Amino acid sequence: MIQMAGVSKIYGNGSVALSDINVNIDKGDFVFVVGPSGAGKSTFIKMIFREVLPTRGGLTVNGKNVSAMLPTEVPYLRRGLGIVFQDFRLLPNKTVYENVAFAMEVVEAPRREIQRRVNFVLDLVGLKHKLRTFPTQLSGGEQQRVAIARAIVNNPLVVIADEPTGNLDPDTSWEIMKIFERINKAGTTIVMATHDKPVVDAMKKRVIAIEKGRIVRDQEGGVYGYED
Amino acid sequence: MRIRNVEYFIREAISSLRHNSLMSLASVSTVALSLLILGLFLVMVLNLNHMASALESQVQISVYLQDNLGDRDVKEVGTRITKLPGVTQVIFVSKDEALVRFKQRLGEQQGILTALGDANPLPNAFEVKVDSPEKVKPVAEAVSQLKGVENAKFGREVVEHLFALTHMVRIFGVVLIVFLALAALFIISNTIRITVFARRKEIGIMKYVGATDSFIRWPFLIEGMILGFGGAFIAVLMLTKSYSLFTEKVYESLAFLPLIPQNPFLTNISIVLLIIGTAIGALGSTISLKRFMKV
Repeated sequence: MIQMAGVSKIYGNGSVALSDINVNIDKGDFVFVVGPSGAGKSTFIKMIFREVLPTRGGLTVNGKNVSAMLPTEVPYLRRGLGIVFQDFRLLPNKTVYENVAFAMEVVEAPRREIQRRVNFVLDLVGLKHKLRTFPTQLSGGEQQRVAIARAIVNNPLVVIADEPTGNLDPDTSWEIMKIFERINKAGTTIVMATHDKPVVDAMKKRVIAIEKGRIVRDQEGGVYGYED
Repeated sequence: MRIRNVEYFIREAISSLRHNSLMSLASVSTVALSLLILGLFLVMVLNLNHMASALESQVQISVYLQDNLGDRDVKEVGTRITKLPGVTQVIFVSKDEALVRFKQRLGEQQGILTALGDANPLPNAFEVKVDSPEKVKPVAEAVSQLKGVENAKFGREVVEHLFALTHMVRIFGVVLIVFLALAALFIISNTIRITVFARRKEIGIMKYVGATDSFIRWPFLIEGMILGFGGAFIAVLMLTKSYSLFTEKVYESLAFLPLIPQNPFLTNISIVLLIIGTAIGALGSTISLKRFMKV
């Protein structure tokens, strides 16, 4: 699903964010990416949806060569991915329903299909009763659930999450994680950068630890491994 | 582009206008004000130009003939004048006709002419028109050299001052309008840039969910065009209303002033302003979007 072979990222100012990363993530994997702040987790995540381009090495996502991709092809890469951010990134002017439907409008899905899918995913994240609510009227956990619904509404093969529970309290974090687990059980690959030690330790998934731009540990059923 | 997309784009554009109503209002007002000023100057410069042309076209040469010429000599002079380069029209005004015109001009005071009895002191004359105002002077000089011509007159000083003035009006007008149009474009694209800047997050989100650049651009483009057209529409309303009020007032008191008639002048100006407004709106949003598309 995602292959990185000898991937390095050196930013314009000379700072090395990642060096010689070799990773293979298969369909249906649930992967935590952990490590101290500034270790390169974010760069790792952003490369997958090509917000950041690798300086060296080969990167393939959903069978597409990301390094050699034209800017016009990027939207089609992202349609196969669902992206969830720490700060939710919902459109404040749109209702819950519209925020989720928006991701399908963008890919020009038929209207009836939009209705069916949006209702389905909002039911899945437990927000069917808040269709007409605006994001500002929701709690943080609810907003993140809307963001997750938006990420999965187009049936992506991979869901990428960058610190999705970073702004949430522990109880809410658990609710969010249960949703991710449910999505993963349905066959979707999940790659998640996180600082959430209790969650990583309890879920016993594959853990990739990055320190100073290098992978220092890649372990099935791993633990967080840092004290913070 | 699919019909459903067009529908979606228009719906998005309108809903965004509603949600950003304060910003939209600011943009529309800016466009309206800029185009109103541009329109006012356009109307003023065109009118000055119109007046200048009207005055220029009225310049003609009066050729007075010597009193002792026979009919054949008079005809001969007329033919020679006609052959001069630049002459477009030569009208013979006999001394009798000149007297009739003179009496008409005197109106109620024509009594003063009775002192003359049957005598007619006016000479035979030609009224000569030329194809361009610049030729008035050389033609007049050439005509006065012809045999049988007493003298050839035109308002020399008036004409020269007039040319200097109309020339200046035209150059000044073009410079002013170009400058104002650029200023309007600058102000409007900046206003739209603020609107777009306020929504850069939204653009980012659209890119993350896989929207193509053209899909993102369309609603903004339509929004910019609506803002531009709306502003231009307000400017047009204000401009046409004030121009018709102005011309009415002028016709009441200064009827001789050659203003451009309202129709089709105002229609043309309105169309031009509406097109400029819409184009500037589209251009402004395109320029502004470019910066926020790179996510």
